[in-house]
Amino acid sequence: MDKKILIVDDESHIRMLIEQTLEDLEDEGVELLFAENGEEALNVINESRPNLVFLDVMMPKMNGMEVCQRVKKELDSSDIYIILLTAKGQEIDRQKGLEMGADKYMTKPFDPDEMLAVAEEILKS
Amino acid sequence: MTEKTTSLLVKSLKHVLQKDIASMSLIKNVALSEGVDFFVADSKGNVLLGEKSGFQFQQELTHESIVFGIFKSKSDKGKYISDLIKLLVQKEFEKKKIGKEVLNLYREINMIYGLSEMISEKIDTKSIAEIALQESSQIIGSTHGLFLMYEPDEDKVFELASFGDNPDSEKNIVEQNEVLKNLILKGSSAIVPQERIKDNVSLQHLKAVMYAPLKVKHRTLGIVILGNKEKKEFTAAELKLLTTITLQSAAAIESAHLYQKGLKEARDREEAIRRIHEVSQKFVPSEFIKSLGKQNITEVVLGDLVEKEVTVVFADIREFTTISEGMNPEENFLFVNAFNNRMGPIIRKNNGFILQYLGDGFMALFPKGSQYAIRASVEMHKALQDYNKERVTKKRLPIKVGMGMQKGKLIMGITGDIERLDAAIISDTVNTAARIEGLSKHYGTSILLTQECKDKLTDPEEFDFRYLGPVQVKGKQKPIDLYECINGDELSLLNHKLMTLPTFDHAMNLYFKKEFAMAAVTFQQIFKMNINDKTAKLFLNKSAHLITQEINDSWKGVETMTTK
Repeated sequence: MDKKILIVDDESHIRMLIEQTLEDLEDEGVELLFAENGEEALNVINESRPNLVFLDVMMPKMNGMEVCQRVKKELDSSDIYIILLTAKGQEIDRQKGLEMGADKYMTKPFDPDEMLAVAEEILKS
Repeated sequence: MTEKTTSLLVKSLKHVLQKDIASMSLIKNVALSEGVDFFVADSKGNVLLGEKSGFQFQQELTHESIVFGIFKSKSDKGKYISDLIKLLVQKEFEKKKIGKEVLNLYREINMIYGLSEMISEKIDTKSIAEIALQESSQIIGSTHGLFLMYEPDEDKVFELASFGDNPDSEKNIVEQNEVLKNLILKGSSAIVPQERIKDNVSLQHLKAVMYAPLKVKHRTLGIVILGNKEKKEFTAAELKLLTTITLQSAAAIESAHLYQKGLKEARDREEAIRRIHEVSQKFVPSEFIKSLGKQNITEVVLGDLVEKEVTVVFADIREFTTISEGMNPEENFLFVNAFNNRMGPIIRKNNGFILQYLGDGFMALFPKGSQYAIRASVEMHKALQDYNKERVTKKRLPIKVGMGMQKGKLIMGITGDIERLDAAIISDTVNTAARIEGLSKHYGTSILLTQECKDKLTDPEEFDFRYLGPVQVKGKQKPIDLYECINGDELSLLNHKLMTLPTFDHAMNLYFKKEFAMAAVTFQQIFKMNINDKTAKLFLNKSAHLITQEINDSWKGVETMTTK
């Protein structure tokens, strides 16, 4: 499987947790990419064209909503599957996120088993 | 365990050699500067870097005596590179290991988060207990569980929920009430030692047992006991998890209790308010509130008002002071209440309401017209006659009531100040009605009313009236025409008045035509037939008096009242 997953979060421990969660996919040849903010995320998306992006909403330098909108509406990259990550209690963002073109929505703290299953499912299709 | 460690070490090796750009370039630069060609394979023999053949120097890559790879080079100079790789792999391995531990912790946090979210939504304690046991079985891997509560008022431990098959648990709880109670009150958590499990009959079906208290601040509400029928022993980490679950559950149970308490208090408050509302309705008639366009007294604000056309009836117990002289204050009060109790229902029945009690009488409003006001007055007099029969048999004085009414505009409103509100009416109609009631004594009538009341009756034939002429009351510009309604009189008097009705009208005509001698004779005839006809006597006296008086042309027979 020559596929790529981009993990975008400004908090390093969240990036590490997602990396650990998705580690088993690396054995199958999936490449894990990382970005710390929205701008960096856009650059990586342009360069590497990941198949799946886990995108945190609350970030400095361009938040997840904006990244999502840019990817889906301006960069003509609607084939990139975007999962928005939001803290519990900010569920209002859900509708907004879906309007911005996000494909799915997950809350933090996330369930690692669920996240891995979702990623496997998306990469298969 | 070793297998997993080896696999993780191999993964780290791959990361260092194939993925981590910083490590890769560091190794490459050292190898170039030392002029060393090398080869690395993992512990299973998969080549990761370099060519397999032609190397003399060989070294195993190990970590804590676990072999995870093989390093080969042409010369023993390669040892430094091998050590460098080993060091980098060990660092990556540690990082990955910590990462795994953190992820496991995160998994636990997520589960507890989910648990607390689930139970915080529950308001019944049984559901909280059931969820806690179910989640424990998933997170900790317990096959059995008991959720016990201690009820201090009854000094009793009882089962709130159970999980798995716990034979005779109910019986055991009763039998071991003291032991369990002490365990709960101690408030500590523990993994039960194997020998203690074997000794305890109620635990014999289990291989591992641990418990944790349901603590809220410094109180212990109960205990959760978990068991496993296959596993050898619970670990300290699992006990810590159970403690976290019990803490969450205890907090949820406490808030459920508080919620129920709060709910009960809210219901009590609501009930109290409802009762106050009910009582206040009796003080301020709901008709009054409704006429202001409000549903509820609480909606009324200062300055609310409405203008209406109503008939105002004043009623007054005659010679109240004489009657009350023979009674103490309490008897007096009971007497007034007995009177009001008889009058109130009649007024309500006729679409009226009492706006105010006046000690020896009351003031009632009839928004639907004088027909109702007069009918109510007649019925009240009849009720009074029954009441008087009762009083006479009890050797009490019969009471007489005078009623006067006026129809007209009236402003009902809320007056007072911000702290003290009262239902009030502002109206000349009320003043006039009060004056008319006062006149009823002078005229000797039981029900006295004005022309305004008599006009526009829906059914004038229902009643019989005697015209009593105009009266000039104090404070009024124009004289008011007065009528007596005779239907409320005692039967003998009523029959007399009915019989003499044309004669009376004739006599009044003579009176207004200033034929006072003839009028006096006619009134005399009527009065002689029934000496209780005090109105006839009044006009007899007036006519007789006027015979000898000089009467000028402007005389219109207007009775002038200078007193109230």
